[in-house]
Amino acid sequence: MSAPAVTRPADAAPARTTGPRRPARRHGTLTHPARTGLLLVAPAVAFVVVFVLVPLVSAVGISFTNLPLIGPWRFIGLENYASVLTDPAFWRAVGYTLLYTAIVTLPILALGYALAVVVRSNRRGATALRTIFFVPYVVGLTTLSFLMLLEAQPNSGMVNVVLKALGITDGTTAWLVDGPLATGLLCAMVIWAVSGLTMVLLMSGMQGIPREVYESAEIDGASWWVRERSITIPMLRRTIAMTVVLSVIGSLLAFTQFYILTQGGPGSDTTTVVMAIYRRAFVQLQLGAATAMSLVLVVITGLVTAAQFWLLRERS
Amino acid sequence: MELTRRQLLALLGAGGAAAALGGCARDLAAADVGAPGFGDGAGGTVEMWCRSDTVNGVQAVVDAFHAAQDRVRVRLTPIQNGQYVTKVATAIRGGRVPDVIDIDDIYSTMFAFRDVFTDLTPLVEDLALGDALSPGHLALATKDGRHYGVPFLGDFSVLFCNTELFERAGLDVDEHTASFDGILEAARAITALDDDTYGWSFPGNASGALGFTVQPHVWATGTDLIAGEIGDQRGDVAGNEALRRTLDLERTLWDEQLVPPGCFADDASRWSADYVAGRLGMFPGGYGVVAPNASPELLDRSRVVLLPGPDGGRAFFDGGDNLCMPAGGKNPEGAAELIRFAVSLEQQARMPDGFYSPVRSDVVTPDFEAEHPLVTPTLASLDSGYAPTTLAYNLIYNQQDGPWLRMFRRAVFDGEVDAAMDEAQTTYDRILRQAEA
Repeated sequence: MSAPAVTRPADAAPARTTGPRRPARRHGTLTHPARTGLLLVAPAVAFVVVFVLVPLVSAVGISFTNLPLIGPWRFIGLENYASVLTDPAFWRAVGYTLLYTAIVTLPILALGYALAVVVRSNRRGATALRTIFFVPYVVGLTTLSFLMLLEAQPNSGMVNVVLKALGITDGTTAWLVDGPLATGLLCAMVIWAVSGLTMVLLMSGMQGIPREVYESAEIDGASWWVRERSITIPMLRRTIAMTVVLSVIGSLLAFTQFYILTQGGPGSDTTTVVMAIYRRAFVQLQLGAATAMSLVLVVITGLVTAAQFWLLRERS
Repeated sequence: MELTRRQLLALLGAGGAAAALGGCARDLAAADVGAPGFGDGAGGTVEMWCRSDTVNGVQAVVDAFHAAQDRVRVRLTPIQNGQYVTKVATAIRGGRVPDVIDIDDIYSTMFAFRDVFTDLTPLVEDLALGDALSPGHLALATKDGRHYGVPFLGDFSVLFCNTELFERAGLDVDEHTASFDGILEAARAITALDDDTYGWSFPGNASGALGFTVQPHVWATGTDLIAGEIGDQRGDVAGNEALRRTLDLERTLWDEQLVPPGCFADDASRWSADYVAGRLGMFPGGYGVVAPNASPELLDRSRVVLLPGPDGGRAFFDGGDNLCMPAGGKNPEGAAELIRFAVSLEQQARMPDGFYSPVRSDVVTPDFEAEHPLVTPTLASLDSGYAPTTLAYNLIYNQQDGPWLRMFRRAVFDGEVDAAMDEAQTTYDRILRQAEA
């Protein structure tokens, strides 16, 4: 039994009559490249087809229906998209998510970079420091959020107790019932928790920079700051780009910490776009509309990521 | 056979969509509860789900059911409250449903209107209880005159009054809880008694609890915040005079410091703490949040009245649970027998032991009233109970980012009553439109 060959019939499309004539290419067939290569990549292709392509195509199909979690469904064309794109609550959630992303991205990178500088050498105590800085990430946002839920309480929570002891507040601040205060607290917690991952990624990149490069610079009299600016950062460009892209995507998909700490409130002041999708799917039980929202989020995430790749591209 | 790339992709897409949507569609047949001979010789195992909040009460009924007969066994599965609706919906979508579920009555509406529950009208009619069976519960599970649930346990919102503080302040419970003017007067007098004593309380950051205790003030005037029938509903918020006066009352209570300062951030985690400690004159809440925590002495000097409207009238939130049978259950006859048992007079009379209220008023006898004086007032006025019939209750009232909580906080803590109501009107309309799409 032979695999079906996918070919483009010669008469499938009219031949171009203008422009320079190019040599015929056998692109568009599954028998090219060679069968051995195809077999080698088959497991990966199958994985992508089963776990990415099919769910994505299914999601697109569902987004054209009114599929509820219970009850019958029917095709409704583009109604879900029209509803989502004209829904002010959805765009408010998108705006808040972008704001949150903008607030946390740079501090996570800066703090992660600073921590990586501290722990990148192999001097005594570096391993212990790496562990300490990385622990919040290992503990995870879910656990940290539940802890923060207790520690942010007025009067009794440690956040207020410490601020009162320092004379900054009177200890009665209700952090989680005020939009800006809750956002500030959430951002501080996330920056603290996630910068450990950035530290590890940047540290491994830093350790890959040849020592000789720094030694040459030192011989030439370059200061620490000049070495960082002229050697480390340029040679870490790709690693930095990767950490920023990961951080931004993580922020655009933020859900857990908001769900635990504020549940999107007060009002809809801290409702992220994933939380809005969750509500539509599992509170309103409207899977079709929620899927359309998800696909719009996929597009937004893709656009933001593409913009980052363009901004962080290597310039000759 | 040769396929073009385009054909291959189209095939993949169509296959994926068909697989996804095909897996979603599954019709479950509902039993005919009114069929001749239905229920005769029921046996086997009944799969029952209940929410974690009510597991003790439900387990007591199940134990009694087992003690009363040995033909039908019940396997009870408690499910965490916050996940309940999703789990039930997913089970129905997956075609593997329990035989009977105990569900918050406010959520029974959305299932009844999606035609996924068994029609229990013959069973309700057989009970022949009429208005003695909680009309509010029943209305929430009724579509086109057919009942898709049977009231099971009550969780009613009422006003607890500390009679000792009322007496010290020279107040009369009935007179001073009959209108907003009376409440304000009582709250001022009680707050003036001691530094640590307050007249009133509300959980200012708990959307669901506020919906439970504040809305009845509006309902007492005969109006609601949602107008119209399902399919054509809209908000009745902007310009709603009863609502404006209710929000004004709460704002005044806050402004004049007649409520504890902790109300500002209370997410209902310490909802009844001040009342249980004897520091509150009036506490809008439920029997289930006071009785388990209060001392017998405090309960003895407590009185319960229904929540008043601005100028009179009284109402309460007719909350609690219905028993429903998802269509497609494997043992409908055993499930129906369990439901009949659960709403029997004997089982209902035991409800206060689990800190719930019965849902049938004929349970009230002189003995019952003497034993459970804090439960009786709602049963004596079951027709004053109400809960909105809508597909959007959860999103509007129970979610922290819903319009109800936003309106309440903006009106009460920021003092912008009219602006808050105008803003809420828009959001109510949008959510109701979406929910009915």
